[in-house]
Amino acid sequence: MKRNLFVLMSLIVLGSMILAACGSAAPATEAPAPAATEPPSAATEAPAATEAPAATEAPAAAPSGTATITFVQEPDNLNPMYTSMSFSGYLRPFYSKSVWDFDENSQPVPVLVTEIPSVDNGGVSADGKTITFKLRDDVKWSDGEPLTADDFAFTYDMIMSDKNTPLGRYPYDPYVESVTAQDPTTVVVQLKDPFAAWLTSLFYWGVLPKHTLQPVFDADGTIDNAEWNRNPNPSLGPFMLDQWETGSGLTFKANPDWINPPKLEQIFVRIVPDDAAQEAAILAGDSDIGTFLSSDQIEKLEAGGKVKVVPVSSGYNEAWFLNVNPDTARPFMLDVNVRKAIALATDRFTIVNDLLVADINPVNATFWDMTPPYNSDLEPYPYDPEQAKQLLDTAGWTDSDGDGIRDKTIDGKKVDLIVRYATNTRELRKSIQAVVQQQWQDVGIGVELANYSSDIFWNSYNDGGPQALGEYDVAEYSSVMNAYPDPDTDGFTCDQIANADNPDGTNFQGYCNADLDALFKQQAVETDPAKRKELFNQIEQIMYDDYVYIGFWNDPDLSSVSSRLKNVKFSGVYPFWNAYEWEVSE
Amino acid sequence: MTNYIIRRILQAIPQLVIISIILFSLMQAFGDPIATLGGRVPARQEDKERLRRQLGLDQPVYKQYITWLIGNNWQKIDMDGDGVPETPGKRLGVLRGDWGNSLVTRQPVTRMIGERVGNTMLLMLTAEILIIILSLAIGLYSALHPYSLLDNVVTSLSFVGYSMPVFWLALMLMYVFAVNFRRWGLPYLPTVGMYDPAVGKTPLELLKHMILPLATLVIISTAGYSRFVRSSVLEVLSQDFVRTARAKGLASNAVVMRHALPNAALPFITIIGLDIPFLLAGAVVTERIFAWPGMGRLFIDHTERSDFPMLMGILMLIAVTVIIFQILTDILYSFIDPRIRLG
Repeated sequence: MKRNLFVLMSLIVLGSMILAACGSAAPATEAPAPAATEPPSAATEAPAATEAPAATEAPAAAPSGTATITFVQEPDNLNPMYTSMSFSGYLRPFYSKSVWDFDENSQPVPVLVTEIPSVDNGGVSADGKTITFKLRDDVKWSDGEPLTADDFAFTYDMIMSDKNTPLGRYPYDPYVESVTAQDPTTVVVQLKDPFAAWLTSLFYWGVLPKHTLQPVFDADGTIDNAEWNRNPNPSLGPFMLDQWETGSGLTFKANPDWINPPKLEQIFVRIVPDDAAQEAAILAGDSDIGTFLSSDQIEKLEAGGKVKVVPVSSGYNEAWFLNVNPDTARPFMLDVNVRKAIALATDRFTIVNDLLVADINPVNATFWDMTPPYNSDLEPYPYDPEQAKQLLDTAGWTDSDGDGIRDKTIDGKKVDLIVRYATNTRELRKSIQAVVQQQWQDVGIGVELANYSSDIFWNSYNDGGPQALGEYDVAEYSSVMNAYPDPDTDGFTCDQIANADNPDGTNFQGYCNADLDALFKQQAVETDPAKRKELFNQIEQIMYDDYVYIGFWNDPDLSSVSSRLKNVKFSGVYPFWNAYEWEVSE
Repeated sequence: MTNYIIRRILQAIPQLVIISIILFSLMQAFGDPIATLGGRVPARQEDKERLRRQLGLDQPVYKQYITWLIGNNWQKIDMDGDGVPETPGKRLGVLRGDWGNSLVTRQPVTRMIGERVGNTMLLMLTAEILIIILSLAIGLYSALHPYSLLDNVVTSLSFVGYSMPVFWLALMLMYVFAVNFRRWGLPYLPTVGMYDPAVGKTPLELLKHMILPLATLVIISTAGYSRFVRSSVLEVLSQDFVRTARAKGLASNAVVMRHALPNAALPFITIIGLDIPFLLAGAVVTERIFAWPGMGRLFIDHTERSDFPMLMGILMLIAVTVIIFQILTDILYSFIDPRIRLG
């Protein structure tokens, strides 16, 4: 009997071995030859360029070499309409180029267009409501079809069609009236109102191929489940997806016909869900680019001299968001002096110095610290425990019962000054909670720590999210504007306050300031950058004085680059924007 | 026997329905799939409202369950938000073979599970076979030579193995055999994944990448199982019928193999029968650390996103295999132990 069982199980193993091998039967036979052997010669022998196909005018070397990138999460969907994951966005410069890139200094560089539209070149109309893209006439999808203005109009139609379920319709839903193809190389975007953030949001993730997806839409009534979403060919970029083995990784192959022909032959994106395992893979040389590293890994990774860790800001700042909602906040949180005391009682400088890397993560002052040129010259709130004590004394919070925690009698009831400090379960944040607890003890502020898993922490009002319900006094997390590097955001306006009538509101702080609301409305339609900067500096000053946002540290994304991979220039918008320039040397 | 099997299968149907109702209700506590949509900040409120409506997440739970079970292709859905349903539903429901689409990838759940199940089976069944062989061998040896030197060594080693946390063992193996061996210029093993992209997915690559995850799984489980085998064989060896067999002059080997082992194997089979369905669920920690693209990671990834159609698919698959293997175990019993009669 035992033997039969053994035979049965052997058969199953054999079967699953065949199953697992079947999926990739083709590449198993094809792959080995080029990648493994060629790179050393091709990298050094530049003259090989003469043999390159005559298709491109510039004498470009035939693409060679494989770069490996590690991701800790797997991209969910490759159709940009259906994803908001950073890891999907990272891949886009390979197969779905945007109208313009943002380079390593976050400056726009034309890609699909001949020039960046502006008032001067007639691309932006005088009233700021019409934006015209002049397309290059030599851009082709990887199947050889030319890119036309119809693709843009089609993309807009797909995002706005009620038959599709795109994750976000920003900015088309609130701001865009129509997108039309005036002629094959002219796209006209008609706006409802002047819209300041157009440069960083219109077609920022590229366009969809009409010739591939229109037939799908006609047949299925939706492109939600289109095969292209998973296998985005034809592609519009220097690489094409060759294979996506779910859970394992994605292989991209060079598209030599792209307007900027790539130098690498292949890019492999490997999914390594465990941080420590990613670290090991980088150290072992199994990963040329590691992503979303933490600052405590820098020293170890750079120790061997073969890896460099590069910080790139994508606009994120770690901060405390204070609950000032009159309906949910505890009374002391509604007193600006108590909020100020909380800020002054916290030595953020020492914390950042001890737990992070002060050069990479300086303490920040406002939400816009990482958004030049809109950042103001405000200084971070200082550490001044003495002033914090005075402020609390003046506000009537004293330690009347001698238990070390200040209290105050409100409406005949003694209230303790115990701040509920909530964040997710990230270890770094837990460590900070512990340090802050001690610092606050010195000034007599009690603390109640709360840690939620990320999904629960962000749950909406109807699903009982602790932030949405206002079940906190101080919430810590890292946040960003709508369309970095544009400074626009909607998390601080009155109409976004989350409550029973507005359960999906994104203003979890319940912060409402009429002056601020007016300024936010004004900046959203101000197309003159200088005037807009002026408005933002006013916004920053108001919020600074209201003590609703206590900046903690600038939170750039950390990526590692191995010494064999050259020409990598990360951008905060699309980190891999210049992937076509990458090359490997052994 | 046939009657017994038919009866068990009929019993399984209400069991599965009840399991699915319980699971579906529990899913509601998992969090909101629309809250962040996988991004780093919450989605815009207009988009959240629209997506809930379009994906049917605004419906009462019992309606969502009915759609999951039997579909909605006779109903119309309000996709444009004017309050009037206009778009015909397309779902067929689980009972008609449609497990729905993942909320995260928009891919059919069956396709996504299908892509992973082979990888998990390959790793887990190989591991299970090695575990069974090794733990039988070690357990038997220890039981036949109790308190010998080797038994004592094995005993202490298995306590070490059993008490090692999986993640620690996995990372240690990786650092020693993949990172440091490479640094020292020794033949090394790959760190993560199923194959090297530059080489392709050849059987040799697969084998090389399997060694470390297999070692992790086998070391930890063998430690526990071999203890189990040892004690159950020891117990049987001291029973009367074994003494009788010895007394009538049977060779020692025959006593162990024909009389002791089948009796000692019964509880072992129970444990394995219960374990095998969970092989499908994959070894979450091991798969995660070695980036093995199996079911365990699929489950974790989609739990983080509260992707309930996907989770329902995986959990129901496990529920079905648990029931099937319980029936199989019972049948196997009746072969091994003639005292058990099914009927």
